[in-house]
Amino acid sequence: MRIGDYQESYAADEALFRTPTQRVWLMAAGAAAVVFPFLAGDYLLYLANLVGLLAIGALGLNILTGFTGQISLGHAGFMGVGAYTVAIAATRLSLPFWIAVPLGGAAACLAGAVVGVPSLRIKGLYLAISTLAAQVIFEWVFGNWTDLTGGIRGINVAPATFLGFAFDSDRRIYFLIHGLAALHAYGAANLFRTRVGRAFVAVRDRDLSAELMGVNLFRTKILAFMVSSYYAGIAGGMWVYFTKVVTPENFPLSLSIQFLAMIIVGGLGSVQGTLLGTVFITLVPEGLKVLTQAVRPFAPDAMSYLFPLRDILFGAMIVAFLIFEPHGLAEVWRRIRRFFALWPFPK
Amino acid sequence: MSQNRMKCLVAALLATAALGARAADDEIKVGACQPITGRFAFAGVNINAGLQDYLNYANEQKLVKGKKFTYFYEDSGYDTDKAVATFKKIMAQHSPVIMYGESTGLGKAIAPELNSRYKVLYASASFSSELANPATHPYSFLSGPSYADMFGVLLEYIAKNPKGKGKPKVAFFYSDTEFGKDPIPWARKRAAELGVEVAAEIVTKVGAVDVTTEVLALKKAQPDYVIFQGYVLAPIPEVIRGSRDHGLQTTFMGTFWSVDKTIIDKLGPDAEGYMGVNPYAYWYEDAPGVVAMRKYNEKVHPADAKYRPNSYIQGWFTGMVYVEAARRVVAAGKPVTGDNLKDALAAIQNWDTGGLTGKGGFVSNKYPVGRVYRANVQKGIFEPASDWITVK
Repeated sequence: MRIGDYQESYAADEALFRTPTQRVWLMAAGAAAVVFPFLAGDYLLYLANLVGLLAIGALGLNILTGFTGQISLGHAGFMGVGAYTVAIAATRLSLPFWIAVPLGGAAACLAGAVVGVPSLRIKGLYLAISTLAAQVIFEWVFGNWTDLTGGIRGINVAPATFLGFAFDSDRRIYFLIHGLAALHAYGAANLFRTRVGRAFVAVRDRDLSAELMGVNLFRTKILAFMVSSYYAGIAGGMWVYFTKVVTPENFPLSLSIQFLAMIIVGGLGSVQGTLLGTVFITLVPEGLKVLTQAVRPFAPDAMSYLFPLRDILFGAMIVAFLIFEPHGLAEVWRRIRRFFALWPFPK
Repeated sequence: MSQNRMKCLVAALLATAALGARAADDEIKVGACQPITGRFAFAGVNINAGLQDYLNYANEQKLVKGKKFTYFYEDSGYDTDKAVATFKKIMAQHSPVIMYGESTGLGKAIAPELNSRYKVLYASASFSSELANPATHPYSFLSGPSYADMFGVLLEYIAKNPKGKGKPKVAFFYSDTEFGKDPIPWARKRAAELGVEVAAEIVTKVGAVDVTTEVLALKKAQPDYVIFQGYVLAPIPEVIRGSRDHGLQTTFMGTFWSVDKTIIDKLGPDAEGYMGVNPYAYWYEDAPGVVAMRKYNEKVHPADAKYRPNSYIQGWFTGMVYVEAARRVVAAGKPVTGDNLKDALAAIQNWDTGGLTGKGGFVSNKYPVGRVYRANVQKGIFEPASDWITVK
């Protein structure tokens, strides 16, 4: 139980995790994350890796859409830019992964800077359409610049290696992916305690007032695009080492929309919410699948009806979420925490 | 619970365990990631039914001595990530020796682990020539010809049946996808070898609606034949109707996914003369292999036995290949493992499938046989226009 909020120094006051409860739980979660791969089977590990990768991408989109208020439908495209850069760097230039992945981030970052330029003049739905155009262009380039991208067949990449240690199994790459995810989540959480991050939020809340307060709108918006696409690029780069193949069909518009779903369900403008949203959108369909599988022995012929039903149920859950909890899972989480803050005493 | 009852229960449990243990010994497990939902569901449901039915049929007919096939399938939604997850899940839960996968994407994504770790025989719904490469994908095979082979069959037919004098002219009409582009480079080369002129190549999006410019391009090129690739339905009917409106006398052709009965139903009278290549016989043909399939369906699924689409037959044939490979491994007295199965598969030559497909064998992990069919609008069916052609 927490009974007070005493801080004895400015440093303690500024800490990201301020209460012992938070720190203990965080450490417990960290320990669980380290132990997990040794207990989980292939299937769970694969899903965990997928969640880790998508979480990095979703964090990027939340920085842009949730924190800066610039909607983007091209996020999967930026992820693709990162992925292709890494694949090309790894195969043609034989660069090791620890150079290739940051390079992928940098390339996506540059692409983001270019795509972000129209954001100065257009907003809201109009910006969504202009980023949609970027998505389409990227997808087209991946599929048609055959000399560079290998066209529709894509590029096969060898596993990442570091000093002779190959990240060639789901368990090994788990640590790489989740290490990066943790680092990027930490980075995002800290970003909004800096001037730049606060400028992002100011732009989202009222761009005119932000400009009056001395925020350079152009620079800030472009920067938001760059940071966001950098995250996508890193996610894309790790994706390549995870799946060991990259094709144009890996980064469709539907993935961009899935990212939006993650941050909306999770909670716009919340790092924690992004992580929760990623877990929700990735794992709930799998959970529903397990449920339908459980029915199979009793109704073996009903599968062709039950499988589509699962998609409908998933859609209904998202709609229900938006209606009953518009602030997303982050708000649910906050409520749970508040409940336990005084537990076992009543409020 | 009385002591007697307890004893009975224990005995029953032990018996079940013993039976279970024995079953594992003479069981050949087949796993499948089937696209029961998602945009490929129209075929996935049928492929699943066909594969499952054939394995049951093989059990019933005792085609593999002393062995029984058990089939585990899960929905993978035609989404590569989910399909890989499903693949791993099935491998972890049941450790089958044979797997089936939904797409080209899954085939590529799972290849590194299939080769180094799982080592199980693998087939999929894909006819992509990339997966039929024993050097890079030793464990995967195509249960039919590749798309390139299908083009080979059509081009051979075109070369033998020119319209008028001079080189026959053909146009390739394909979608801007892996599925659409896969056979094109090989088809260009093959056309040149056969003395067929490629008069035009037209690329569109899948399901394009407005095809006016494409039809005009066809009108300008005046090809004798147009081959569609990378579509299931749209925009094939639109292109054919548009061309007929412009008075084009071209013969339109399709590959496996666009020669199902649905295209005749959709086009009506405009389907007259539409041709295509099918690696398998149609449901209503009279070859003994097809009749056996129909009879089994009449017995097991009387409600569905009237007509089954080509994708069902694709699943059925895949089952035949699995069973044939397993039969050979067992007959040779070897253990049923992925390695032995893949070697047995490569040795299948001059195989008689009872007319379900042409006589043939596996060449670089594919079965390069197909037949040209022509639509008969009055009867609402496709009829053979050539014999079975093996592509070399």
